[in-house]
Amino acid sequence: MVRSAPLTVPTLEPIDLRSVVAHVLGNGLRIRILPARDVPAVSYYTFFGVGSRNERPGITGISHLFEHMMFNGSERYGPKEFDRILESHGGASNAYTSNDVTAYHEDFASEALPVVIDLESDRMRALRITEEALTQERSVVMEERRLRTENSHFGLLEEQLETLVFQAHPYRWPVIGWMEDIARISREDCLSFFRTYYAPGNAAIYVCGDVDPDDLLRRIEAAYGDIPAGPPVPPPVGGEPAQRGERRAAVRHPAHAPAMLAGFRGPSAREPDTAVLDVLQACLSMGEGSRLRRRLVQELQVAVSVGVGWTWRADPGVFLFSLELAPDKSPRKAEAALWEEIARVASRGITDSEMSRARALLRSGVLHELSTRNGIAHALGQAEAILGDWREAGRALERYRAVTREDVRRAARTWLDPLRRNVTWLEPEGEP
Amino acid sequence: MSRIVLPELRERVLGNGLRIVVARRSGVPLVAGRLGVRAGSALDPVGACGLAHLTAISARRGAGRLSGRSIDDRVESLGASVGGDAEEDVTVQGLSTPAEVLPRVLEILAAVGSRPTFPVAEFERLRRSELAELAHDSDEASTLADRALLQATYGDHPYGHPVDGRAHDLARMRRKDAVAFHARWYGPRSAMLVLSGPVDPERTLDEAERLLGRWRPAPASPPPVGPARRAARRVVVVDKPDATQAQVRIGGVAIPRRSPDYLPAMVGNGVLGGGFTSRLVEAIRVNRGLTYGVRSRFAVGAETGLFILSSFTKNGSAGDLLEVALEEMARFAVGGPTEEELGRAANYLAGLFPLSLETHDQWADRIVDSWGYGYDLADICDYPDRLRAVGPVEARDATARHLPLQDGVVLAVGPARELVGQLARFGPVEVWPVGRVM
Repeated sequence: MVRSAPLTVPTLEPIDLRSVVAHVLGNGLRIRILPARDVPAVSYYTFFGVGSRNERPGITGISHLFEHMMFNGSERYGPKEFDRILESHGGASNAYTSNDVTAYHEDFASEALPVVIDLESDRMRALRITEEALTQERSVVMEERRLRTENSHFGLLEEQLETLVFQAHPYRWPVIGWMEDIARISREDCLSFFRTYYAPGNAAIYVCGDVDPDDLLRRIEAAYGDIPAGPPVPPPVGGEPAQRGERRAAVRHPAHAPAMLAGFRGPSAREPDTAVLDVLQACLSMGEGSRLRRRLVQELQVAVSVGVGWTWRADPGVFLFSLELAPDKSPRKAEAALWEEIARVASRGITDSEMSRARALLRSGVLHELSTRNGIAHALGQAEAILGDWREAGRALERYRAVTREDVRRAARTWLDPLRRNVTWLEPEGEP
Repeated sequence: MSRIVLPELRERVLGNGLRIVVARRSGVPLVAGRLGVRAGSALDPVGACGLAHLTAISARRGAGRLSGRSIDDRVESLGASVGGDAEEDVTVQGLSTPAEVLPRVLEILAAVGSRPTFPVAEFERLRRSELAELAHDSDEASTLADRALLQATYGDHPYGHPVDGRAHDLARMRRKDAVAFHARWYGPRSAMLVLSGPVDPERTLDEAERLLGRWRPAPASPPPVGPARRAARRVVVVDKPDATQAQVRIGGVAIPRRSPDYLPAMVGNGVLGGGFTSRLVEAIRVNRGLTYGVRSRFAVGAETGLFILSSFTKNGSAGDLLEVALEEMARFAVGGPTEEELGRAANYLAGLFPLSLETHDQWADRIVDSWGYGYDLADICDYPDRLRAVGPVEARDATARHLPLQDGVVLAVGPARELVGQLARFGPVEVWPVGRVM
């Protein structure tokens, strides 16, 4: 069609970094606030700088189990009170634990702000950790593990894959932990974990929504200001031998069709190639016209689905490939076709139109992410936790603009070297 | 107290009957679009379960003069997406696009909705792919449980089969079936187009009219779906011998969206199994540690709906979990909520409601929802206040009337050898092989 004049009215960039109010309390608690006053709602995130990378064998999964313990009562609020009070004020909470961080968030009507500050500061100050609550949360987490890992094909594959990609680094164990460790973690382990990792010096608060920043800072100072800073956090144990050849594992399990999960150790998120790998991921698997979807699903029809994941992590991330096959398709052929496409990108790179397509899709993705208060508050927290600076949340588009076609070719050659490949296959067995 | 403010809305009804609504909003420079058509899975012919779904997804693979591949290239090079799927009552084709290229993407959405060509090779590929997806789904206990529940509660009612179809039917479907389904049901009189975002309303309406003004009406109007009947209690185990965890469900025929019980039942269910502090969570997760998650909800359609309680637990606890759940349902039906519980549930639902109206996509969905279910969009403005005005007796009665306390379906997916004995306390157990729900 003929391109007419735009039908739209101009709008601002999604995050105006100059409007973010940043402050650090005397005890080290970092606070970042972005007012957005058009709707009377607020999103409130608390990030703690602890995840499975801070664990050790024997207590794997403690970061995640502890996340559950945070809802079981503190000094002034009894067990089960946290959500009850929040919900009665028109709010909802949730939390997640990753390899690198543990994050808690509340979305609520703005009049509930004082209540949320009170609830959050009280559990940072004085969490109650009882034997009874621990016993109960252990069994809840065991069910969560059965759900996400033991009864999920990709859960089983992912658990195997991480042990191939990492031989020594703590990323080798699952965030939810090994079943035996979940059973073993004691109240004393939890108390020590809380003292070490849940102090203000290891935490940051991100608020986006209908708030007055000066008023909010005063309230936060009053509620959290006298919590002791806490001890220095021990650095996570890193270290990982170089990979000098392909590693493979099979998961035999009752199933109707084969599936594959493969991965390559990538850079840590702070390295410049992180944004380059985002662009590569977009070229390979974002949208119907992406290389892998077009080749494997549409043309060769060797796979039903193909996915590429590139998750940013504080330490080396993993560049992931997943395939789901039709029951009658050959895993060998599908895998060969996949690696053939990767070799092609590594040798010939991508075209100009693939580059601009990837940038356009990534831009829309960033805009979607930043279209809610929750998305903005989370992006600020994630950027500071993983990239070391909350301002990076507003610089994603800038980073993508700087990536060149040559960067993409070089990154594919560097990070997707077949000698550094790790592959797990689900091999259907028996009567499913 | 907390009135919802509607965005600036402009509406036009075209000569061919198509209703177009533009919601002008500030915010991120993206536009969300939805083209809803009353052609959902309830219209799947007997023996062709999944036809509405396959028609919806294959429409995207060729429309007007464009092949599927050129649609991919045009849409994605702009950073946009176009595509859709069937639901029970309607099929919705959607777009999401950077605002500055809306006309180019809207042109494609209009073609996909009104002039799909269903290229045979693309149709066949998708059909085979859907069959293979079903093979993967048949390994997912939660999917099996959801499919089995629909089948056991609704029986042969038009809502009684999964939108994505059955393997046996998909295996026999041909391109001509999709062509006929589209020709019969897709048309401007039974459709609505919504665009939401930072747009100029008049010019957007003009552009939409230019693209869809010549869309010819379909020959038929969808027949009424009709109510579903509540039936005597059934107890079903879907046998999945390898599972170490059982997926469990309790379900029964309940209410449509337009039911006067809808709003008080939302609040009542909020107390019973809606939020994170519900009675079910308290009894099953907090007090007994039997599960990681349990919830109940009223899943409403235009003509009828289901009450669905869902959870999971280790195989050995399935019977106990279901028993506790039924006890909690019965306790609620007799005693209803306390004032404190009712206030908490209403405040929770009311407080979060504005957060479901934050993005252009959410507004586009909400507007299509009001059209699909036939309620006035302005009704949502005082929705938070109306939630808070529900009284305890009203909440109890509106909920209790539709809880399957003696009837409905009690269901578990897992190893039959471990589950049948546990579920026998609820009635005679039917054991279904996985194939029966696929």
